[in-house]
Amino acid sequence: MHWRHILLLLCCFVLLPIAGCGDQPAPLKVDLSEREKVSPGSHQPVITYAYLPQFSHTVSFERHQRLVRYLSEATGLNIQQVFPETFHEHMLMLDQGKIDISYANPFVYSMTAEQSGARVFAKIIEVTGEAAFGGLIITRRDNPDIQTIADCRGKRWIAVDRFSAGGYLFGLGTFLDHGLRPEDFSQIVFAPGPGGKQESVILGIYAGRYDVGTVREGALELLADRIDLAQIRILARTPRYPGWNYAARPGLAKEVVDAVRAAMFALDYENPAHREILEKAALRGIIAAKPEDFDAVRDLIRRAGLH
Amino acid sequence: MKAMFQFLSQLSFRSKINLGLALIIICFGLLLGILGHAVLSRTVLNETFKRGQTLVMNLSARSVESILSQNFLRLTVLVTEIDQIRDQGDIAYAFILDRHGQVLAHSFREGFPAALRLVNPVADHQPYALQLLDTGTERIYDFAAPVVLDNVRLGTVRVALSDSTIMASNARLLRLVTGVTAAATLLALIGGSFFARTVTKRINALRTSTEAVIKGELGVQASDALGRNCWELRDCREAHCPAYGDRQRRCWFITGTICPECDTGGFPEKVARCLNCPVYQQNVGDEIQSLAESFDFMAWSLKNHIDELNDSRKNLARQKQLLKTILDVTPDLVALQDEKLAYLAVNKAFCRHIGLQEQEIVGRTDYDILGAEQADRNFHEDKQILLTRQPLSKELMTMGGEGRKWHHVVKVPVIEQDRIIGLLSTARDITVVKQYQEKLIQSQKMEDLGRLAGGVAHEINTPLSIILGYAQLLRKEIPADNPVGQDLAIIEKQAQTCRKIVADLLSFSRSAEKSESRIDINASIREVTDLVAQIFQQNRITITHRLDDQIPPVSGDKERLKQVWINLLNNAADAIGTDGCILVKTKLCAHRRRLVVSITDTGGGIDDQHLDKIFEPFFTTKSVDQGTGLGLSVTFGIIKDHGGRISALSPVPADYMDNYPPCEGEPGPGTVLFVELPLEGKVLPDDECIEIPGKA
Repeated sequence: MHWRHILLLLCCFVLLPIAGCGDQPAPLKVDLSEREKVSPGSHQPVITYAYLPQFSHTVSFERHQRLVRYLSEATGLNIQQVFPETFHEHMLMLDQGKIDISYANPFVYSMTAEQSGARVFAKIIEVTGEAAFGGLIITRRDNPDIQTIADCRGKRWIAVDRFSAGGYLFGLGTFLDHGLRPEDFSQIVFAPGPGGKQESVILGIYAGRYDVGTVREGALELLADRIDLAQIRILARTPRYPGWNYAARPGLAKEVVDAVRAAMFALDYENPAHREILEKAALRGIIAAKPEDFDAVRDLIRRAGLH
Repeated sequence: MKAMFQFLSQLSFRSKINLGLALIIICFGLLLGILGHAVLSRTVLNETFKRGQTLVMNLSARSVESILSQNFLRLTVLVTEIDQIRDQGDIAYAFILDRHGQVLAHSFREGFPAALRLVNPVADHQPYALQLLDTGTERIYDFAAPVVLDNVRLGTVRVALSDSTIMASNARLLRLVTGVTAAATLLALIGGSFFARTVTKRINALRTSTEAVIKGELGVQASDALGRNCWELRDCREAHCPAYGDRQRRCWFITGTICPECDTGGFPEKVARCLNCPVYQQNVGDEIQSLAESFDFMAWSLKNHIDELNDSRKNLARQKQLLKTILDVTPDLVALQDEKLAYLAVNKAFCRHIGLQEQEIVGRTDYDILGAEQADRNFHEDKQILLTRQPLSKELMTMGGEGRKWHHVVKVPVIEQDRIIGLLSTARDITVVKQYQEKLIQSQKMEDLGRLAGGVAHEINTPLSIILGYAQLLRKEIPADNPVGQDLAIIEKQAQTCRKIVADLLSFSRSAEKSESRIDINASIREVTDLVAQIFQQNRITITHRLDDQIPPVSGDKERLKQVWINLLNNAADAIGTDGCILVKTKLCAHRRRLVVSITDTGGGIDDQHLDKIFEPFFTTKSVDQGTGLGLSVTFGIIKDHGGRISALSPVPADYMDNYPPCEGEPGPGTVLFVELPLEGKVLPDDECIEIPGKA
C-alpha cells in the first residue's frame, strides 16, 4: 500500500469521530433585550369552586375537575376550581368571598356557616350509598396498653386536622362521651399537610410513633395495598353524622346557586357519563340539604368547645 | 518526502524506536483524546440534556400544585430555587407559563423577555421539548415541559441551560484529556527510551562484533559475560569437560559436555535436551541475548574453521609445491589434458620441450601449440586412447635444435568413478639410452667383425707367409737389377704391408697372445714417449709429461699398452701435422679406484659427428694411403681388454689447454683422449672420475 493511502486512512480514522460531534440542533435566534412586565393572577374565574383540601391539590383537581367542567357546561357559567392551601385558608377564602361554592366537611361547613353565613344547599351520598359518615379510632393491634377507649388516657393522639370532621371532631366527640378530654392525652398532633393527612395518621400509628389515631371511615382502604392493615386495630367507631356538603358563600346570586344545584341534582349515577364524574369525585350522588341537617355536628362542636 | 524517508532511514535504531513510539503514542493519544473528548462531550451534552429534561420535568411536576392553587409566591420560589443554581452552574433562566401562555413566575430580574414566550412550543403529549437558542451573546438549550394533570394542560414550564458552561466543561475535559495524554506520552517515552536503550545497547554490541568479524577479528564477544557459569552453578570439578572454564561460549552450544543429562549426540539433539536444563533456564536470555550468544558461537566456530582451513591450505600449498617441484625437477615431460584434450597442467620440462611458458599452454590444445600435422596426429592418437581406455606406450624420435632426440611416450587415460576425465601423458628422454643401445649394437658388430677379421687374418697369415717367403727366396735368386727382381721387391713390400694389416687385425681381434704383469703406467708412457719424441721433433712437435707419481702399478699387458700409447701419440701427431704440442697426463682419480691417462694435442680437432665413430674399425679422416683406420679400433680393443674405457673430447676443454709449454705454430682446437683403467680387476668401478670433463 502506498504511503498516501496510509495517510488518507489515518486521516479518515482521526477525522471520523470528530465529524460525528456536530449533530447539535440549529440554534434559533432570540432577542432577550425586549422585556415585558407581567401581572400574575389577572385571570380570575367568575364562579369559584373549592374542595376542602383534605387531599393534595392534584387529587382535588383530579377528583373534581370533571364535575366542575360538567357544572360549567350544564349551567353555562364560568366555573373554575380554586385550591386553598389549608382548611383554614378555605374558610378564610369563603369568608372573603373568594370561594363561591364550597365543598367541605360538616365540621368546616358548620364553622363557616357560623362565621361567614355560608348556606348549605346540597349534600352528597357517600360511595357506600349513605348520606352520613363517621370516624374511626385506631391503634396498633399489638399495642397491649390500649384495649378500650379509656386506655387512651395519657397516650399520644394523632388526628387528621384541627378542622377535620371524621379525622378529629367525631373522634373527639367519642372520647368526650367516654370522659376523655383533650388535655387528658399526653400529646395531640395533627398530621402534616397539605394533602395526604388521612394516610399520615394511619402511617403514624402503623409506625408506632403515636398510640391512637382518628380517621374518617374508608380511609384505611386507601392504604390497603401499601401496608399490612392487619396491624391496625379499629378501637371504636364514632357515631355517624351528616356528610360532606355544598355551601354557597353568602351573597352568591340565587340563580347561580339554583343553576348549580339543579345541575348537581341532575347527576344520575346510572348515567355512564355522570357515573364517571361521580365516581371520580368519590360520590354516589348529590341530594338536597338544609342547615338543620347539621345540627348534630354543631352540637358536637359546642360540646367540644371548638366554636 | 523522499528526504524525510532518507533522514528516517539514517536515524539510529534507538531514535527510530523512540520516534516510532512517540508517534504511535501521540497518534493514539490524539485519537483517544479526540475520541474521548468527543464521547465525553457527547456524554456531557447528554447529561446536560438529561439534567435539563429532569429539571424541567421536575419543575413541571412540582409546579402543578402551585399552579392549581395560583400560589405565585411558591411558583416564584420554584423558579428562583432553580435559578439559584445558576450561580454554581449552567441554568440560564427558568419560568412558568399558565395554560394561556401568561407568565406566572420567572427568574429574570429585569423583566420577562417577550421573545421567549413564543419559542420552543411543546405539545401536551410531549414529555418535553428542546430548542437551542442563540441570544447573540451565548447559546442556550431551552427545555420546555407541559404541566398536565389528568389530561388537562395547566401550563408550561421552561428551563434553559447555558451552552457556555457546557463549553467550559468540555474545555476542562479537553485540558484533562490533553494533560493525561501528554503525561502518558511522556511516561511512555521515558519507558520506551529505557527499553530502546537496553535493546539498542545490545544491538550496537552485536553490530560492533559484526564489524570486527568483517575486519577479520573473529575473537569477538557480543554477549555479556554470565553471572554464574555452568560449573559454578553445578559445583562441577570436571576440568576435562569442554565447557569447564569456557567463559566465552554457553555450555549448550558446546558438544561433548559430560553432565549426565547432556545428550551425547550432535548439536541439535544437545540443544533440545538443554531446554530443560536448570543451567540453561537460569542463564538463557531474551531473543537478543540468544542472538548475541549464537553470534559469538558462530564467530568462534568460524574462527576455528578458518584456522583449520588455513592449516589445510598451507598443507595443501606445501604439498602442491612439493608436487610441482617434483614434476618440474623431473626431466620427463608430464602433461595432463582434460577430456577435450585441453591442457590442464604441464611441467617445466614439457614447457621447455614445447618452447612455451606454462600459462601459454594451459587451457589450450595441441592445435594451438604444435604444428597442424603433429597436432592432428596427437589428436587422433589421444582420442583413440580416450575411446578405447587403453594406455599407449611408444618410442618417438624427433629432430630438433638439439639434434635427434628419442622419447619414450606413455599416455594413460585418467578414469574417475568410471568416467574418463582426462589424459595423462609422460615422455622420457631416452636419447642417451638409445645411444648406449646403438653403441652396444656397434660393439657387438665390432666384436663380430673382429672375430671375422681374426679368422680371415689367421687364414690369410699362412698363405701370406708363403708368398712372402717365396718372394724373398726368389729375390735371392734373381739379381737386384733384374726387372723381375724389382717386381719381386714390390711383391715383398706389399706382402709385408699385408702382413702388418693381418697383424693389426689379429691384434684387434685379440687373437694375439696376452701376457699379464704388474705395470708402472708412468714408466710405460715414458718409455714410449722417449721412443717417439725424437721422431716427432722432426715435425716440431713437443711432447710434455705431467705424470702423477701416486699411481700404483696396475695389472696388464705391457707391450699392448705401449702399443696403445704409440697409437695415441701417433694419432696426436697426425692431428697436429707440424708445429704443435702434445701433453701426456696421468692422474689418479679422487676415489683412488681408477687412473686416467689423457693425451692432448693442439691439432685440428674432430667434428662432433665423427667423435662417436673414431673407434670404429676402418673409420679414418686421413687420406687413403696414410692410415688403415684400425689404430684407434685396436686401441679401443686393448683398453677394453684391460677393463678400461677410452673416450675423446674435441675441442679441448680450457683446463687442458693450460700450462702448455710454448708451442710452435698456431694451436688448433685440439683433441683430448682419455684412457681410464681400473686399479684393481678388469671392470671399471661405478664411481665416475671427476677429473674427466663432463663426468663430474
